[in-house]
Amino acid sequence: MISSQVAARGRVLRLGALLPLAWAVVLLFVPYAFLLVQSFWRVAGGALTPDFTLDNYRRLIGTSLYPRTILYSAETALWVTGFALLLAYPLAYLLAFKARRHRELLYFAVIIPLWVSYVVRAYAWKIILGQHGILNGLLLSLGVIHEPLSVLLYSRWAVVVALTHIYTPFALMPIFAVLESIPPSLREASQDLYAGRWRTFLHVTLPLSLPGVLAGATFAFVLSMGDFLAPQLLGGNDSALMVSNLVWSLFGVAYNWPLGAAVAVVMLGLTLALLALTGAIERRGQTR
Amino acid sequence: MSEPLLRLVDVSKRFGDVTAVDGVSLDIAAGEFLTILGASGSGKTTTLRLIAGFEPPTAGQILMNGADIAPLPPYRRDVNTVFQQYALFPHLDVRENVGYGLRMRGVPPPECESRVAEALAMVRLGDLGPRKPRQLSGGQQQRVALARALVNRPQLLLLDEPLGALDLKLRRAMQLELKHLQTRLGITFVYVTHDQEEALTMSDRIALMRSGRIEQLGKPDEIYHRPRTRYVADFIGETNLLGCKVLATAAEVVTLDLNGSVLRAPVGWGASIPAGAVALLSVRPEQLVIGPRGDVGPERNRLDGVVADVVFVGAGSKVHVALGNGTRMVVNWAGDATFAPGIPVSVTWPVEVGVLLRD
Repeated sequence: MISSQVAARGRVLRLGALLPLAWAVVLLFVPYAFLLVQSFWRVAGGALTPDFTLDNYRRLIGTSLYPRTILYSAETALWVTGFALLLAYPLAYLLAFKARRHRELLYFAVIIPLWVSYVVRAYAWKIILGQHGILNGLLLSLGVIHEPLSVLLYSRWAVVVALTHIYTPFALMPIFAVLESIPPSLREASQDLYAGRWRTFLHVTLPLSLPGVLAGATFAFVLSMGDFLAPQLLGGNDSALMVSNLVWSLFGVAYNWPLGAAVAVVMLGLTLALLALTGAIERRGQTR
Repeated sequence: MSEPLLRLVDVSKRFGDVTAVDGVSLDIAAGEFLTILGASGSGKTTTLRLIAGFEPPTAGQILMNGADIAPLPPYRRDVNTVFQQYALFPHLDVRENVGYGLRMRGVPPPECESRVAEALAMVRLGDLGPRKPRQLSGGQQQRVALARALVNRPQLLLLDEPLGALDLKLRRAMQLELKHLQTRLGITFVYVTHDQEEALTMSDRIALMRSGRIEQLGKPDEIYHRPRTRYVADFIGETNLLGCKVLATAAEVVTLDLNGSVLRAPVGWGASIPAGAVALLSVRPEQLVIGPRGDVGPERNRLDGVVADVVFVGAGSKVHVALGNGTRMVVNWAGDATFAPGIPVSVTWPVEVGVLLRD
């Protein structure tokens, strides 16, 4: 009686573990596998034709547009990562060590923008940076400029600013988690051994928080490199488009699904390679 | 005593409504091994943290060589700490951990290196320099923490339950080793522990803390044999507490009544107790002698009872004797005679070993 109940509970548990797995298989691995397969197809007479051709990859490498856009996207993502870390680290430090009573509230304040729709946040930057936007209005009324600036919006920097805003919380969370897990006695021990606050930070807090920085940087880089809405809304002209916009237009306007799939597969490969690299760095840091 | 190395003058620390340390005054001589002993929450660790500089005192002065160090941050104090969980830097190897303080003080690298090697040899970890803390056992980590503090040759070393995480055998060995190191180096130790045996073994003096105050300060044998309060007698070692009525107080001896039996005790702290008042008499189990009923001389006290329990404890037995009125006494017995429950016996002790306590 009891053993059959236990067995039944075991079955329920196993089912509970299987559901997310099935979810991942159906909604992630199957589409990715299909994407991979399709990147070897071709378009013949306006129709998708199953095939095994490397033409898509050849075209990808041979046309300067694609490598250039990937590099451009990576560069944009690097800027975003840099700015996000510059904002996230001090903020995480303040949250972890300085904000005693209001810590939960402040953490909440950092996280809450994540609950606002992405499109709304991107549009907010349009309102701020536009021709008749808040920033131009401010600069005009201060007399700094006499004509509204059009370069604010529809440029790489608009994209970088918006992406930084959007992905900074993702960089902050792992940094905060790591900082919070550093035992207070380590910083006390450092002060006990004649290191002031700054040197304690440099020699103890910072090195111990590097795994969090690495995780945060990976989040910010991978997410912003694959972003397509911000460049779409704020990037304006074609030169500010990123690789995801290319994929989107290959699947949409150009109706060249196989080439789009090939670009997506390359991006996926680059991302996985980056994750493997940061994972390896982190593991090395642990065992050393 | 010459000028004390460290002097706490009426030091208090409050956290909100909680008073962790309540008007503690304490002089610590150079070269002394002082133990702050107390239960958890007694304020002993907070007192240590005030000396180290991790917390500012709410009131009072902390004088080191006569100068008030209370306003100084920890990194400007000639004091080092061995932390409870060692607090070794996990990203640095043993050598880097031990050399941390020297590097921060700008000691040149060659000297730094030789002093680190010397410190590691001193705690017998000479060959573990390149290891990371997590590759060490608890006892080894403890030694690294000790070396990391001692390498700076501080005037004062603070130790916060440094042996708390070790097993009993290692703890006993480390107690002796620490005491030897302290004597050899002549560094002043302030040692915090809740373990009374540790305190009795190692200390020159013990400050027993209770609710943020020093309940009693004295040499280990004073604290053990001449406790002033019931709390001290109870906290340190085992004792029999007898609630008696004071019959008369003479120059040296107080006469007491315990349910009709007349007992005598040295006046000690009981000088001011008026006749008719209630007083507590404390006698240690090892000072009691148990035997067949019979008269004893005037220099001994005697209480009659019946053996209730005999508990074998290895090096002897603990004999529980039920007195007439329901109180029990515990007697340490290592003699040849065996006692069985139900046997009528007398418990006797020399008048001078009894201690009158304040409740």
